[in-house]
Amino acid sequence: MQTSPIPHAGRAKAKWKRDLGSWCVMLPGLLLFAFFIWEPLLEAVRLSVYEAQGTRAIRFVGLDNYRSVIAGPDFWPSVTNTFVYLLWSLLIGFLLPMALAIGIHESVRGKGLYRTAVYLPNIVPGLATVFLWKYLFKSDAYGGLNMLLGAVGIPPQGWLSNAAIVIPMIVVTMTWKGAGSTALLYLAGLQGVSPELYEAAIIDGANVRQRVWNITLPQLYNLARTLFILQVIAVFQVLYEPLVMTNGGPNNASISMMQLVYRYAFDQYDYSRASAVSVIVAIALLTLTFIYNRVNKEKEM
Amino acid sequence: MKKLVSVLLTLCLCLAAFGALAETTLKLGVYPEEVATDAIASHETYIEKYSAQYPDVTVERAHYKYSTDTFVPMAEAGTVPTVFESWFTEPKKLIGGQFIADITDELEARGWLSKMNPSIRTLMSDENGRVYGVPRDAYALGLMLNAELFEDAGLVDENGIPLYPKTWEELAETAKTIKDATGSAGLCLLAKDNAGGWHFSNIAWAFGATLENQDADGKWIANLNSAEAVAAMQYVKDLKWKYDVLTADPTSEDWGTGFTQLGTGAAAMYIAANDAVNMPTQQNGLAVDKLMMCGIPAGPGGQYSLMGGTPYFFAANATPDEINAALDYLVIMGKAPELTDDAIEGLRVDAKNRKENGIPNIVEFPAWSDPELVAKRQEIISEYSNVDARMFQPYFDAVATEGNLRMEEPQNAQEMYAELTKVLQAVVTDENADVQALMDTASANLQQILDEQVNK
Repeated sequence: MQTSPIPHAGRAKAKWKRDLGSWCVMLPGLLLFAFFIWEPLLEAVRLSVYEAQGTRAIRFVGLDNYRSVIAGPDFWPSVTNTFVYLLWSLLIGFLLPMALAIGIHESVRGKGLYRTAVYLPNIVPGLATVFLWKYLFKSDAYGGLNMLLGAVGIPPQGWLSNAAIVIPMIVVTMTWKGAGSTALLYLAGLQGVSPELYEAAIIDGANVRQRVWNITLPQLYNLARTLFILQVIAVFQVLYEPLVMTNGGPNNASISMMQLVYRYAFDQYDYSRASAVSVIVAIALLTLTFIYNRVNKEKEM
Repeated sequence: MKKLVSVLLTLCLCLAAFGALAETTLKLGVYPEEVATDAIASHETYIEKYSAQYPDVTVERAHYKYSTDTFVPMAEAGTVPTVFESWFTEPKKLIGGQFIADITDELEARGWLSKMNPSIRTLMSDENGRVYGVPRDAYALGLMLNAELFEDAGLVDENGIPLYPKTWEELAETAKTIKDATGSAGLCLLAKDNAGGWHFSNIAWAFGATLENQDADGKWIANLNSAEAVAAMQYVKDLKWKYDVLTADPTSEDWGTGFTQLGTGAAAMYIAANDAVNMPTQQNGLAVDKLMMCGIPAGPGGQYSLMGGTPYFFAANATPDEINAALDYLVIMGKAPELTDDAIEGLRVDAKNRKENGIPNIVEFPAWSDPELVAKRQEIISEYSNVDARMFQPYFDAVATEGNLRMEEPQNAQEMYAELTKVLQAVVTDENADVQALMDTASANLQQILDEQVNK
């Protein structure tokens, strides 16, 4: 426990005066945050323990909304799926950007071209990406992938209507869109690695594999750690991909927790229950982040 | 000087306030969107008449297309137009959230309450019998057929009228014949969202199922796993795996894509209602004389058609004057149970518009049980007829049969549809799906919802 010394009144005033300019600079941002983020956030927490008409809280009901959403038929499938999304996104999407970045970094020619190329999918608007992949995954003979398969004599497959593979397919879509921008972050990280390390390694006769393993990866560790937790947070809130591509189907095989929030809020206009699920998602994320940081700290020590 | 200015200002404010009080503003959410130029032309005619008749009402063209992601914020901010069109799925939650106005007294004063088709009235009322909406029109589900595909498959009688299926068994056979002959799907089954369950309840009824029951104590019991309902679901499963007559991926089909499949000839049959005949034709290019409608096929348990109504609702913050102004506008549109000259003209404008746009002019389903009005509508529609009556006769015969029309299951219909849709998704994507087990789960889930929300 760290205790701060009680500041002298005069010193506090002086400090306040000194910081006034900074506060003024921050003020517009703070106001916007307060209005668009913090107030709705608190309101959602409040609504989650109230019975509501529309977004008007009517009666305090304690944890009833939580009980009701947890007992609801779609809650556990959505929780399980959210973790399955997470797992697949880490399997498919976590190492790929790093590999792309290292590949580009190590390539001798055309760095600029590759850099642009990996980033391109990211400039496609989110929904357009989803519709594009929805077309590729279409299950009739005219879907993009099925046409390719048809050319080699394989009958059409139901990519998104197969409960066993629907989530990995959606994760492929998300990775296609997101990997490029993450790769650029890694690339920036790589550029920060001192070239002398590589020079020394080359002089010592290290090959590419050894250089990557002993220099690049350790140097990227901190960045990767941050991006890991950001990815967990982002994937935990996956919504529009399953919403548009499968509507959570078949038979709840791809429904995510945020989609459950969407259904309560926009299909049923039940904002209390929607808020309750949101709060559950937030608590889950806080817990995950906490555990992760704890584990990491121990490692560092 | 300062005083004078403030006095003047106050005066101005008072005058403005009085001006606002004296005038009623009618915000017309039913005004069409910008691109619908012919519909705009019709509404401009209505507004012209309206303004002549009610000069102290200011009409505001406030087109609003109801959608679930915009409605609640607008309602909470009080900016919902005075009158707007919504969907048949919405009344319960809109009434529950107090988003729309109780118009019982206004309707009572006009004597419209008793003229409203009783089933439709129930649909737009809360549990105390207060009424919140006016039906734009009523509908009953039937089967729409793409006559071109029937012709290509040779399934027409000596007059060239398609040989439509009368039972679900016949439908499977017909669908198979069409698929084999043309390569197009026989039936477009919906399994993407709640519309799947909505359609399925018709099949279940035909197989003899009742999906919800009330026990002796008045408690509602989910009954999705009865032998009849399971047989109906097994039938759907067979359509996919035994007959293979569905479109490639039913889990991607919703209400709108169904009409695209039907209208563009990718599917030959589709469960749809009479109020949506513009969808395959005008919207998706099917020639007006190539659309046929027959009743929902019969099954071992009989033949039933789900009936409902598409509502007009009124903003929760609308004053009685504004509500009355909106109701007056509906009279001019010909959507109210009053046969004024303007109303007749309104009907005529509408019928002419439909004819010019290649939309079948068929009799509407009476949302108002006023014989005079029904007769007049019939007369105007035959005046602008653009279809062969024989193409729609089987549909009208079916729904005119005593006991054919059925309202949706009474409690938590949307949640029930959601549960059924999940089962539909499972049986059309998994050849080894266990129908009984899936229906058991669906029924248990629905029971839980009923216990929590109804049986408390």
